[in-house]
Amino acid sequence: MKDLNLIRNFCIIAHIDHGKSTLADRLIELTGTVSKRDMQSQILDSMELEREKGITIKLAPTRLIYEYEGKEYTLNLIDTPGHVDFTYEVSRSLAACEGAVLLVDASQGVEAQTLANAYLAIENNLETIPVINKIDLPSARVEEVKQEIEEVIGFPAENCPCISAKEGINIEDVLKSVITSIPAPTGDETKPLKCLVFDSHYDNFKGAICLVRVVDGTVKAGDQILMMQTGKVFDVTEVGIFVPTTKETACLSAGDVGYIAASIKTISDVKVGGTITNAENPTDKPLDGYKEVQPVVFCGIFPVDGAKYNELKDSLDKLKLNDASLQFAPEVSSALGYGFRCGFLGLLHLEIITQRLEREFNLDIITTAPSVSYNVYKTNGDMLEISNPSNLPPAIEIDHIEEPIVKVSVFTPPEFVGTIMELCQDKRGIYKDMQYIDKKRVELKYILPLGEIIYDFFDSLKSRTRGYASFDYEFDGFETADLVRVDLMLNGEKCDALSLIVHKDKAYNRGRELAERLKKIIPRQLFEVPIQACIGNKIIARETISAMRKDVLAKCYGGDISRKRKLLEKQKEGKKKMRKIGSVEIPSEAFMSILKLDEDK
Amino acid sequence: MAENKDMSIYVHIPFCEQKCNYCAFASFCVNQAQIEDYLNDLCQEIEQRKVDNPIKTIYFGGGTPSLLSPEQFKRIVDVIYKNYNVYDNAEFTVEANPNSITEEKLDMWKKLRVNRLSIGVQTLKEKNLRKIGRLHDKMMALEKIKLARRQFDNVSADILIGLEDENGKQLAKNASMLLDLGVKHISCYLLEVYENTKLYQMIQDRRYKPLDEEEMIASFNKLSSYLQDKGMTRYEISNFAYPGYESKHNLNYWARGEYLGFGLGAHSFVDGKRVANLDSFAGFKAKKTEVEDLSETEQIEEIIMLGLRCCLGVDLTKLMALGYDITLNSFYKDYIQEGVLTQEGETLFLNPVFYHLSNTIIANLLP
Repeated sequence: MKDLNLIRNFCIIAHIDHGKSTLADRLIELTGTVSKRDMQSQILDSMELEREKGITIKLAPTRLIYEYEGKEYTLNLIDTPGHVDFTYEVSRSLAACEGAVLLVDASQGVEAQTLANAYLAIENNLETIPVINKIDLPSARVEEVKQEIEEVIGFPAENCPCISAKEGINIEDVLKSVITSIPAPTGDETKPLKCLVFDSHYDNFKGAICLVRVVDGTVKAGDQILMMQTGKVFDVTEVGIFVPTTKETACLSAGDVGYIAASIKTISDVKVGGTITNAENPTDKPLDGYKEVQPVVFCGIFPVDGAKYNELKDSLDKLKLNDASLQFAPEVSSALGYGFRCGFLGLLHLEIITQRLEREFNLDIITTAPSVSYNVYKTNGDMLEISNPSNLPPAIEIDHIEEPIVKVSVFTPPEFVGTIMELCQDKRGIYKDMQYIDKKRVELKYILPLGEIIYDFFDSLKSRTRGYASFDYEFDGFETADLVRVDLMLNGEKCDALSLIVHKDKAYNRGRELAERLKKIIPRQLFEVPIQACIGNKIIARETISAMRKDVLAKCYGGDISRKRKLLEKQKEGKKKMRKIGSVEIPSEAFMSILKLDEDK
Repeated sequence: MAENKDMSIYVHIPFCEQKCNYCAFASFCVNQAQIEDYLNDLCQEIEQRKVDNPIKTIYFGGGTPSLLSPEQFKRIVDVIYKNYNVYDNAEFTVEANPNSITEEKLDMWKKLRVNRLSIGVQTLKEKNLRKIGRLHDKMMALEKIKLARRQFDNVSADILIGLEDENGKQLAKNASMLLDLGVKHISCYLLEVYENTKLYQMIQDRRYKPLDEEEMIASFNKLSSYLQDKGMTRYEISNFAYPGYESKHNLNYWARGEYLGFGLGAHSFVDGKRVANLDSFAGFKAKKTEVEDLSETEQIEEIIMLGLRCCLGVDLTKLMALGYDITLNSFYKDYIQEGVLTQEGETLFLNPVFYHLSNTIIANLLP
C-alpha cells in the first residue's frame, strides 16, 4: 500500500507576470522530470497562444519526484493562470490540492491578483506558503514585500523562501517548504472510488479526457466508472499521470492527481467539478462541486461562411469541455446570419476563446462588440435580461434599465493616483476608499459600471500607469442608469450587429467616434456609402465613404489569361473576410471596432 | 483536335530599340546576332507546332515587331503561310512604333497580307514623349500614321492615360488629331507605375508627377465620351473602335477561342489547356512550357472575367452547364438593381460605366 505521507498536491498562484511558469520550469528541471534535451521554457504552457502571449491560460498539472531526508516524495504540481479572467481556472486547481505556493514579485510586491488568489486559497482551506520571487532584480525590496504580505494578506512571511526562478536561486527551499508545510493528502484507497474532475479536454482518439484528483479508492483500466452528476457509465480505457506529458500507469489511487480516459464521445457527459465513482461499488455521496460561474461579458460569434454554423457549434462544445466557464446560446442576426451569443469571464477570456476557435479549429469567425447583461424593466412590469443590444425593446416600452456594477480595487504606486482617479471618474466611477499599503503602494477602491470596464478600462489603466497598476474587480449587483441604444446605419440600413448600449451622456461622442472609425475600416465601394449613427430615429452623426474610383485596368498581355485569373482569385480570396450588409461590404474586424475607439487618439 | 475550329496565331518579338521608362517587362535591346538566333528558334517552333485548323487572325506583338527588317519579318510569315491554313481575309495585325515604321517595311507588310497596324503613339505631348523615353516626337508620330494610312485602312493607336498634365481635354485634342488622320481604333491604357522602372524613380525624385487616381479616371471618362461622340464604341475595357474595326484577334481571347502563341513568353490556349512558353531566352530555347489544365471552377472564372470585360458578355447557359448559377450569387441582384449589370436573354453584360471597377465586380461574381 502506498504511503500518503509521501505525496503532496499543490499549486502555484500569483499575480500575472510574477513568475509562476518560470518557477514551474525550475521545479521540473530540478527534479529531473523532463530531460534537459526536451526542456523548453514555460514548458507547461503548451498551447500555442500561451507561448505567444507569454501567459498561462489553462491550468496544467505535472508530477515531480523529489528526495528529502532520505525519502522519495511525489509532488503533484498544478500551474495556474494569473489573469483576473481566469480566476475560475485557479479555483478549480485549488480544489484538487492541499496547499498553494503564493508567489510574489520582489519588486512589484502584492498586487490585485495576489490578494484575490490568496483569498481563494483561504476559502479552499489550503495551506499557503508565500514565496518571494525575482530577488535578483536590482529593484527587489524583499523586506518590504515580506511586510506587505503580512500586513495586506495576513500570512506570516518572516522565514518564507526568497528565490529567483529565473536565475535558479534557492529553488530547493520551495520544495522543502512544500514537503514540510503542506499537509499530505488524506483519503482511503480501500473505500469506494471518489474522484474530483477538475478539468477535461477532448482528444480525437481517446475521447473526453478527465483530469482528476482521486480522493478515495483506486481506479484502473477496465473498471466501470459512473459519472455521478450525469448518471452515465463508462469503461475506463486508460489511466495515467502527467510528467508533464501524459504517461499511462497501472492505476490511480487516493491522493493521486492524474487522468482517466474512457472513450467518452459525448462531451456533455463529462462535467467539470463532477464526481467519478466506481459503477459497481459506488460511493454514497458526491463531492461538493464547483459553484457555477456567471459570465460577465457577452458577444456574438458568427461563422464568416454561414455554412460553417455546425462546425462552429461543435468547436464551441469542445472548448466548453475544456473551459466550463464558457457559455453560449444560438442567436440570429439580420446582418450576420446564424451564430451564437457567448458569455465570458472577461475580455481576455473572450479574446482567447475567439483566437482558439480560429487556430485550433481553423474557423473564420466574426465577433461582435462585447456587451454586459442589462436588466431591462418594462412598463408592463416584465423584466428582461438583455446582453445583445439589438434585443433592447423600444424606448417607449422601457420603464428603466439597470446595469451591472463592480467593486474595483486598483493597486498602484502613489504617483499614478491622480491619473487613475481621473480615469475612474471618466468611466462614471464612484470613489470609495484609498489606503496606503506602504510608501510605494496605494490601494484605490471604486464602484464602476461593468460596461465601462469592458470597454477599454484595462488598456487605459495600463497606458496611464505605464503598466505599474494592477486591478481586480468583483460583482456588486445592479444599479439603475440612464442608458440608450446607439444604432448604426449603413447606406440607410440598420446593422444590428453594430448596435451598442451606452450611457446617455456618452452616446453622442460614441456614435460620432464609431461612425468615424467605420469610415476608416470600410473600404470604398462601387457607390458612395453614408454611415449614420442614431438613437431611435434621431441621427446623431454622419460620415460618408466616397465611391471607389478604379481598380487596376490591367491589359491582358499577349493572351496571358491565367495571370489575370489568378489576380482575381486572389482578390476574391481577400473578400472572404468581408461580410455583406445590404449592398455594403464590411471587413469582419469592423464589428469588434466598437471596442477600440480610443486607440487612435 | 476533334473539329477543325478556327484558331488565332500570336507571335512574340521580345526586342525593343530602347526600353520605355514605364516598362516593367522583360524586353531586350537590339543585338542583331541575338535576333537571328531567336528567329531560328521561333521559326522552328512555328513549324513544329503545325496544326490543320484554319487560322482566322495573326498578331505580331512585342516588344517591338516593327524593328524587324523586311527580310526578317518575311522569314517568319513565310513559315506561317507554309505550314498553316490561313484564311485569305484573315485579320493580320503588326504592332509598330512610329520611329521604326519605314516605307520599305510598310510595302513588305502589305505584300505579306498584313491588314492592320497597331501603332504605339502613347501621347502627342512632346514633354511626356521625352520623359517616358519614347523614340518619336509628335511630328514623327503624325507623319508615320499618315504614311501607314496610305496603304492600310485599319490603323489603331495606343494611348496612355495618366501622364503628367494630360487632362481629358488634352487627351481629346490628341485623339481628334489621330481620328483626323483616319485612325479607326484606339486602345487606352491607364499608366501603371511599377517599382522597378525608371519612371518610378523619377516620381520618387519628384522629377515626374503623373495624374492622381481621381484625375486619371476623370480624364479617361472625358476621352471615352469624346470617342463615343465621334461614333466609336467602347467594346472592351480599354478599347474603342468604329463599327466593324474591333480587333478580331483580341475578341477571340475574350470569347475563349483557341490560339497558338509562338515565341518567348507566349501563351496558347488549345484543347482547354492554357500553355505558356517560359519568358527567358534559355527557357524558350529549351522549349520549356507551363501547362494549366483548367478545372471547372477555373473555366467558370474565365468565362465570367473575359465576358464581362467586353461587349461579348457572359453566356449564362455556359455557366449553368458547368454547374454555376450566377443569379444565386449574393451580389447579382444588387448589381442588376443598381444598373451595374444588365441581362439580355441569357447574356449578362457589365455596364461600360463600371468597366474601371471591373476587378472588384468580377471578383464578387466568381463562384
